[in-house]
Amino acid sequence: MADRTSFLGGRIPVEVEIMAKHLKDLDKELFRKILKVVVNAVEGKDCRDSMKLIADNGTLSEEQLSHVIAGIYRLLKDALRLPTSSLKQEVFKEDLRELRISEEFITDFASVVFGNRRAALEAAAEKQGPRLPAIEEFRWRVDVAISTSSLSRALQPSILMQMKLTNGSSHRFEVPVNKFQELRYNVALILKEMNDLEKRSVLKIQD
Amino acid sequence: MASIIKETQSIKEAVTHINAIDLNKFSRLLTRILQKLHLKAERSFTEEEEEKLQSALSLEKQALNLVLETVSFILEQAVYHNVKPASLKQQLESIHLHPDKVDALSQAWGSTGPDTIEKFRQRIFAPKKLEHVGWQLNLQMAQSTQAKLKSPQAVLELGISSSEEAESAEKLFVEFSHQELLEFYNKLETVQAQLDSLT
Repeated sequence: MADRTSFLGGRIPVEVEIMAKHLKDLDKELFRKILKVVVNAVEGKDCRDSMKLIADNGTLSEEQLSHVIAGIYRLLKDALRLPTSSLKQEVFKEDLRELRISEEFITDFASVVFGNRRAALEAAAEKQGPRLPAIEEFRWRVDVAISTSSLSRALQPSILMQMKLTNGSSHRFEVPVNKFQELRYNVALILKEMNDLEKRSVLKIQD
Repeated sequence: MASIIKETQSIKEAVTHINAIDLNKFSRLLTRILQKLHLKAERSFTEEEEEKLQSALSLEKQALNLVLETVSFILEQAVYHNVKPASLKQQLESIHLHPDKVDALSQAWGSTGPDTIEKFRQRIFAPKKLEHVGWQLNLQMAQSTQAKLKSPQAVLELGISSSEEAESAEKLFVEFSHQELLEFYNKLETVQAQLDSLT
């Protein structure tokens, strides 16, 4: 165990160290309130109001409160970065004991990181990563051109697609039937490649 | 079938000019016009080519224009009404086109007509059109907020062109997780079912 590096890294982040010191004199109920607000912040929710409430009613100075919040935030972020398969609950607790955090607080931290909110926290983390826009809304229409200025009987089907992307942009374009087949074929091909990739042993190696 | 080409004064005049053209030259002229017929924005010949044609066919500028426009018109009518080669032949005979020119026209129509009609069919009236489909499959290993990931991500590239100018293509990049791609595919399948029900 002695050789193992803490999940917080070889050098403990300074905000976590300062937070650990402040926790010694912190009231348990107040700690829980702060922890709850920080968890909301990690999930990406707006918590300015609830934070202000704590600041106004609390016994902590603004500086002390800032240190505690920053440390909790950093600690949670670092713990949640690692999948549960690579950071076990016991190891997590051990690392916090090293920082001289009291057992009560450690239990509270562990219940956040390994509790039933884990899935929601991971989903939030995934959303916060950089990515290209995804499809937010997809509408389509199939038209058959009956006649045109060049053809008395055209009877040519075509597809009009409208895509709204998550970056807010909207695109409307016509898809000729042969292009549609190409699109459908390619999407099916990617799905197959994805399935193959997920089956491959490289993905089964446990970290 | 009703007549698709009325023997008007200008048709009469054009027929006289066409009948005077050498058959070989006429056949080549015809091939080019058929090739470019579906491109509304483009003329069959460039200005420079038209000048050369004037001397090659010994026609005045105005007469050449009349010949080119008349041949185009006849073919456009054939496209519009989806005329059979035999029927076209009859129609051309009725406007007193020379038999060898009639044969040249109806034979050219017989061999390239279906393709030409298909090209017109494909010419969809849409300001934007999907032209190109490309993709890339990535395996995401980590990101700033998460370590040790193994999640496949697909990026679809959609090349969308404006009107008929291929240069002004716009590229759309859309990212999909496995689940998102599956949902997109299911929607495409619904569209496909709709297309299948048409035939």
